[in-house]
Amino acid sequence: MTDGPLLWYLNRSTGLVLLVLLTITTVLGVLSLGGRPGRGVPRFVTQSLHRNLALLSVALLGAHVTSAVVDTYVDIRWWQAVVPVGATYMPLWLGLGTVSLDLIALVVVTSLLRTRLSHRSWHAVHLLSWAAWLVAVVHGVGIGTDLRAGSLLAVVPTVSCVAAVLLAGTVRISRGLRPQPLSSQPLSSQPLSERTLP
Amino acid sequence: MTQQAPAWAASPRHLASRPVSTRPASPVPVPHEVCIHPGPALLEGVADGPSLAAHRKRYGDLPTTRLPHLLQLVRGAGLRGRGGAAFPFATKLETASKRRRPVVVVNLSEGEPASAKDSALALSRPHLVLDGATAAAQALGSREVHLVVTGERPLVRQSMERALEERAGDVAVRLHTAAPRFVAGQARAVIELLSGRPNLPVTAWSPEAIEGLRGRPTLLSNAETWAHVGLLVLRGEGAYRRHGTETEPGTALLSLTTPGEEPHVLEVPYGTRLREVLPEAAHGLPALVGGFHGSWATWPTLANARISVPHLAALGTPLGAGVLLVPDAETCPVELTSRIVAFLAGQSAGRCGPCHNGLPALAAAVHDVATGRGGAERAGQLAELVRGRGACAHPDGTVRLVRSLLGTLPHEVAEHVSGGCAHLRAAVAS
Amino acid sequence: MSRRLRVDWPSCQARGLCHELLPELVELDEWGYPIVGGEVTEELVADARAAVRACPRLALRLV
Repeated sequence: MTDGPLLWYLNRSTGLVLLVLLTITTVLGVLSLGGRPGRGVPRFVTQSLHRNLALLSVALLGAHVTSAVVDTYVDIRWWQAVVPVGATYMPLWLGLGTVSLDLIALVVVTSLLRTRLSHRSWHAVHLLSWAAWLVAVVHGVGIGTDLRAGSLLAVVPTVSCVAAVLLAGTVRISRGLRPQPLSSQPLSSQPLSERTLP
Repeated sequence: MTQQAPAWAASPRHLASRPVSTRPASPVPVPHEVCIHPGPALLEGVADGPSLAAHRKRYGDLPTTRLPHLLQLVRGAGLRGRGGAAFPFATKLETASKRRRPVVVVNLSEGEPASAKDSALALSRPHLVLDGATAAAQALGSREVHLVVTGERPLVRQSMERALEERAGDVAVRLHTAAPRFVAGQARAVIELLSGRPNLPVTAWSPEAIEGLRGRPTLLSNAETWAHVGLLVLRGEGAYRRHGTETEPGTALLSLTTPGEEPHVLEVPYGTRLREVLPEAAHGLPALVGGFHGSWATWPTLANARISVPHLAALGTPLGAGVLLVPDAETCPVELTSRIVAFLAGQSAGRCGPCHNGLPALAAAVHDVATGRGGAERAGQLAELVRGRGACAHPDGTVRLVRSLLGTLPHEVAEHVSGGCAHLRAAVAS
Repeated sequence: MSRRLRVDWPSCQARGLCHELLPELVELDEWGYPIVGGEVTEELVADARAAVRACPRLALRLV
């Protein structure tokens, strides 16, 4: 059972689906920000989807890692799933996958413990999810046999996901650059300063 | 009531220069001078000057007071805070004493431009304030005492610095400068300043006497409150009870302000009739009791009222921080209110949505009322909407002012709506 | 034990999720900020907790 291609297929398929899930999760995260309530999909729906897909990704990540470790065709140990150095099989690309897993773990744990952290701390860690996504993509490009073979089944989703996240990232940056609705700095223009009072 | 001030108090004493700002200016600017009248207790012997030597000569040395005795003193005197909320000081003191490493804070930031009583204490009686804070710090076993002054009144700061220098060797007091804003004196805003963050209000999930500066119990009180503590410790309860009434012993400092003139600071025993305190020129006119966050009172109410915290609260015109804003006969209360509300809206810290959005809208509505374009209903709606929805009481105080105008001076408001107010006609014509 | 919802106003940025999840107790004013009214009764506690968890700014607390 641990020989043969079944685990290998499981590993590749979970890898591909993870790419898509993590991409959608990231895009939903950006969509959750800003905007006025009441337009289109309710905010709590977008938020719930984001959170649930993230948790689904974690579950799938577990399957992805398990299938790699259990498969005797390649020598990957359990500890190499969390420690990014010291692997024998494709150490660089595998190590990147591990880094991504570590970052995802950090993001997920802080999010589960959100109410016990300050908003600023939670947000700072949450921004690491961009790095987690990027490192995961590079891991897939480096270690993924399908991508190296040029299989469309791998190339099309990968390119689409990268495009989607680039777009999401642009939106996020532009939203971040826009001045906040409320600021603790003195406001230089108030509606009243334009009025002439008696 | 004698209105004569000693020569040194009446001479021009500069306190401030107003910073340039694009926000609406206060209709009552931060005073450059203040006229301090001698009083029976706090302002006794102001002619001696503010030096430590003069202070010790009059009051003697500060006795070491242990906590149970201090609690007894302030409880027996029924001492209430003088910062506006009139909270029982004994409760705060006891609460702060129950937890470890308490902090003592003297709030001399006097963010309200129409108020001058804390400045008066700083200029004439700094050691009374500092004695009170020192006594409490010793009783609590606190080694951290902070003093917050405003940068807008440089002479006040100077006077406190000089006083602190004279007291070297005592409990170490750290001096801080508050931002030149109306809300800078709010308790949590002060604690933010002491924490090294912007001097603006934040949400308080528990009173600062329980959890304040860096999570420690913080006994933060107004400078005048500390002066009363000092007086109690130096003179005892018996002497303190010589003024005021049986149920409300002691005195209160009032800032009597007429827009356009320098403010007068008076010390008045509780129970004194308001009509004895108000100058002749103000008789017959309405007055704003409690300052910018206060309530309008008609002359009949004023004529029968006494200076007393529960009494004025029951009348619907709480004393607050003791500011009596008495416009002269030429100043229209509706127009003055409009300018005050515009100022208060501009003074919003901008941190809380309802205040940041609601106060300018409220100011616009009151402005409409003042310029004869209606808007009283909208003002009332906004007042109800904004009240209680903020990290501090800034929107609440502004709402109190607006509602008191609409409720207490309906005749004046109606004149504006119908276009009949003499001041309105003059304003529209210009 | 009567429980209320309190808003941490400096954190609130009018995202509106509290109103979406708990319209019985939370209305929105004309600028999108929550108007929280009334006691959180037993049957509303679960929804109130959901609203607290959902706030992206952690600006809502059940006290």
